[in-house]
Amino acid sequence: MDWSNVALGIQTALTPTNLLFCFIGCVLGTAIGVLPGIGPTATIALLLPITFNFEPVSSIIMLAGIYYGAQYGGSTTAILLNLPGETSAAVTAIDGYQMARLGQAGKALATAAIGSFFAGTVATVVLAAFAPPLADAALKFGPSEYFSLVVLGLVASIALASGSMWKALAMIVLGLLLGMVGQDVETGLPRFAFGARELYGGLNFVSLAVGMFGVAEILRNLQTGIHRPSMVGEVKDLRLNRQDLRQIAGPIGRGTLLGSALGILPGGGHVLASFTAYSMEKRLSKHPERFGKGAIEGVAAPESANNAAAQTSFIPLLTLGLPAHPVMALLIGAFIIQGITPGPNVISDEPVLFWGLIASMWVGNLMLVLLNLPLIGVWVKLLSIPYRILFPAIIAFSTIGCYSLGLNTYHVFAIAFFAVLGYVLIRLGCEPAPLLLGFVLGPLLEENFRRAMTISKGDATVLLTRPISLTMLIIAALLLFAAVAPSIRKKREVVFAEDE
Amino acid sequence: MVSASSTPLGPPSAPVSGRFLRRAAGLATVGVALAACGSGGTTGATAGVNYPTQTITIVVPFSAGGPTDTVTRLVAEPMSKSLGQQVIVQNVEGAGGTLGAGEVASAKADGYKLLLHHIGMSTAPALYANLPYKPLEDFKTIGLVTEVPMTIIGKSDLAPNTLAELVAYAKANKATITYANAGVGAASQLCGLLIEKAFGVDLTEVAYKGTGPAMTDLVGGQVDFMCDQTTNTTPQIKAGKVKVYAVTTAERVKSLPDVPTTTEAGLPDLKVGVWHGLYAPKGTDDAVIKKLTDALAAALKDPKVIAKMADLGSAPVAADQVTPAAHTKLLTAQLDLWGPVIKNAGVKTS
Amino acid sequence: MSRLSRDDLLAGGIFLAFGLAFALTSATYDIGSLLRMGPGYFPMVLGIILSAFGVAIILTAVLKAVRGHPATAGLDEGGIPWVRGALVLAAIMLFGFMVAPLGLVPALLVATFLAALAGHGTSPLGAAVISVGLTVLCIVIFVVILQLKLPLFPTGG
Repeated sequence: MDWSNVALGIQTALTPTNLLFCFIGCVLGTAIGVLPGIGPTATIALLLPITFNFEPVSSIIMLAGIYYGAQYGGSTTAILLNLPGETSAAVTAIDGYQMARLGQAGKALATAAIGSFFAGTVATVVLAAFAPPLADAALKFGPSEYFSLVVLGLVASIALASGSMWKALAMIVLGLLLGMVGQDVETGLPRFAFGARELYGGLNFVSLAVGMFGVAEILRNLQTGIHRPSMVGEVKDLRLNRQDLRQIAGPIGRGTLLGSALGILPGGGHVLASFTAYSMEKRLSKHPERFGKGAIEGVAAPESANNAAAQTSFIPLLTLGLPAHPVMALLIGAFIIQGITPGPNVISDEPVLFWGLIASMWVGNLMLVLLNLPLIGVWVKLLSIPYRILFPAIIAFSTIGCYSLGLNTYHVFAIAFFAVLGYVLIRLGCEPAPLLLGFVLGPLLEENFRRAMTISKGDATVLLTRPISLTMLIIAALLLFAAVAPSIRKKREVVFAEDE
Repeated sequence: MVSASSTPLGPPSAPVSGRFLRRAAGLATVGVALAACGSGGTTGATAGVNYPTQTITIVVPFSAGGPTDTVTRLVAEPMSKSLGQQVIVQNVEGAGGTLGAGEVASAKADGYKLLLHHIGMSTAPALYANLPYKPLEDFKTIGLVTEVPMTIIGKSDLAPNTLAELVAYAKANKATITYANAGVGAASQLCGLLIEKAFGVDLTEVAYKGTGPAMTDLVGGQVDFMCDQTTNTTPQIKAGKVKVYAVTTAERVKSLPDVPTTTEAGLPDLKVGVWHGLYAPKGTDDAVIKKLTDALAAALKDPKVIAKMADLGSAPVAADQVTPAAHTKLLTAQLDLWGPVIKNAGVKTS
Repeated sequence: MSRLSRDDLLAGGIFLAFGLAFALTSATYDIGSLLRMGPGYFPMVLGIILSAFGVAIILTAVLKAVRGHPATAGLDEGGIPWVRGALVLAAIMLFGFMVAPLGLVPALLVATFLAALAGHGTSPLGAAVISVGLTVLCIVIFVVILQLKLPLFPTGG
């Protein structure tokens, strides 16, 4: 690490203008990210045009602030209202929302904030110290490797459910299939779109998540006879005590490492970060049966993994000019409009931008934690809004948010469809999280498999002859074996304890 | 709804639904009343003289941050200065740009909703069977904006060093050579179709969702070669992460002065550029079109616009191309070119 | 033999139905080969796998019943909120139908009014108040602060 560059970065990030832009970005990101159903991608898409009028470095710093600010905001809504705006938040919602129902919303939010801050700090150091060599290593990942990685991720995601394994598997596959809706990448043939061009682009994650998590939850709460207890009345501990801190230290550390590593992969490693971290903690835990019922580790691990990955996913963008996910692709547009050509030469051509951005990431993370910890009390107060006002508000915000992204009414109708589907499936003991992950990973799985087969001329053994791919498939096979083999059935029954 | 909360289960009782209906009827009245005040406020679209009197929206049929969006935002700002009204950009993405184009085709022809579309305007009729609009008949052209050149590039350790060698190599290795494209209808896929024709080889195409991932795999050496806009390829070329064979324009590109054109390299038919044009719905007043053409032409002379387009490896089109006539001519020629090429290749999306 | 789990049977049935629907629809697309997979290949395989999982869930439930295990319960019990649920869904659907032709304000008023009506102990008057309040709040957030270019009223286009 070249210290003069680090100094240059810190100098850039700490100019009053850039500090201000970083702050505005973080605040805006948090504020929009906290709106129901709107995650980081949607937030950036909404706010991108605002930044076009500012100075290049300041505007990129602000955009980055919006990006991780939205991650914070998104987790807040996931925890308080069971409304994830992105995959990572869907994982946080599993235990975070249960904690909120138990009156521990404050603790859950604090855990998310601290975990994210720690992860952000570590990932920033990783970014500053090792970006170029890591980026080159990540390019070794071809279609075969990504396919095997996704398989591994899917197998690991069984652990997201605490009920029957068969149901979890079926939900994953149903999610994969829903991910196929829309134009086929290779031939352009619209699949399962019923001739509606509005569906050619596929279903929207926000519709799916808002429907299956948020609105389905509203439907459950409206059930006649069940009067939802006011959560805020029971909010006890806002602060984390020493025992909590001990409990979350391990998950935060492990989540950070895992997330940092996955975030570097430009082909979509970051989406795997939060739930592989969750699955790993559940497997390592002595009490896996607590997961899904408000385990604090279930919030700490995915939140840190996600924030670490969010940070390191800048590596392929900044060192190679290659976008790892839609947000990074949006940022490329922002770079270009600012007259900066994103590419392998950004580090040498634009040292002020590169090092300033990295330094501002850490500053931004610090701002977010300082901003959010005192705000936790305010967020929790949201829950004291009477439910009969809160839920129509959730519906109004979600539908507008969903519609505003591309003005496609089909995405609004899809909310209603997935609300019904989610409600029915949840009632039948099928948890929605694996379905959402299947949905996100479905296209990755199919596209990479087809590419691998096209490149290898239909030789499926390529998945086994490439060492990285083989290693991941072996781990996946072991995990699956551990889940189904009768010899270790006892252990499995703990992992997938059939509760209630 | 107080009574309903005490109703345990089963279908809603008659009084509930009766009240519900009355409420719905009441709401409908409110809706109509609101509709009335809403439309009362808007001015008529007759006068080209006073145009523009309100905010103008340019629809981009692709997502924010993409190349077309970037081009649009570059011209929108100077256009709003010369028109004296705010010009804003709205992204209506989906179905290869046909959703956004369809929305403008059916919009009111008052000059307040325009479309900035690229080469896809001329390929959509061949790609999409049930297009709800006809490019030539349902739009009025305002003028061309820019043409982004394309480059043929290969992975850094691909054996051939010139375009001629690449042709020979592709013929000799037609079973194994792979061509990356960014999905159906993308510029890289269209260029691939022309390459197949020019090279006389059937390529094994590996499809990606967008240029980003395709470029990632090219830089990583997973696929052999591709052809994409200078916007995406120039940084990788300059950093030496990919090999460059040719630019697909008639003349060399300023930002890549050492790279030969396809004509120089012996394949004059291999010419393709991603051109962008501005459209209004059919029936728009000619006086309005004139004002828009003038504003666009002025924007394309703005030094800031020229400088930023140069960063994209592009430039505004020549002044005589910023006219409805030149725009219509190019659109017609491109529709005639791509229709047969796409049909022969058997690409059809529905 | 104990009682069959109705939940498991239903869940299995739903997965089986989805699996078959996807597999059968995929059959109308080009399947292709392993070398050149058509658009139908992957969804066809996944559809069959999903159907198999559906069958597995049904069989497991039957086996459990035969062996006399007690049926596993779903995540919640209690009645289905038909009227309230329908109001919430109608709110979402109507917003979708109204927002493009009529603009944000009418769509929001109707949607939030219907949704609010679904609340426990909300009178029509109360719902109207909530509806107006939320509409104003949404307009302030999305249109005034976020500057989203969404028409508020019918544009007459």
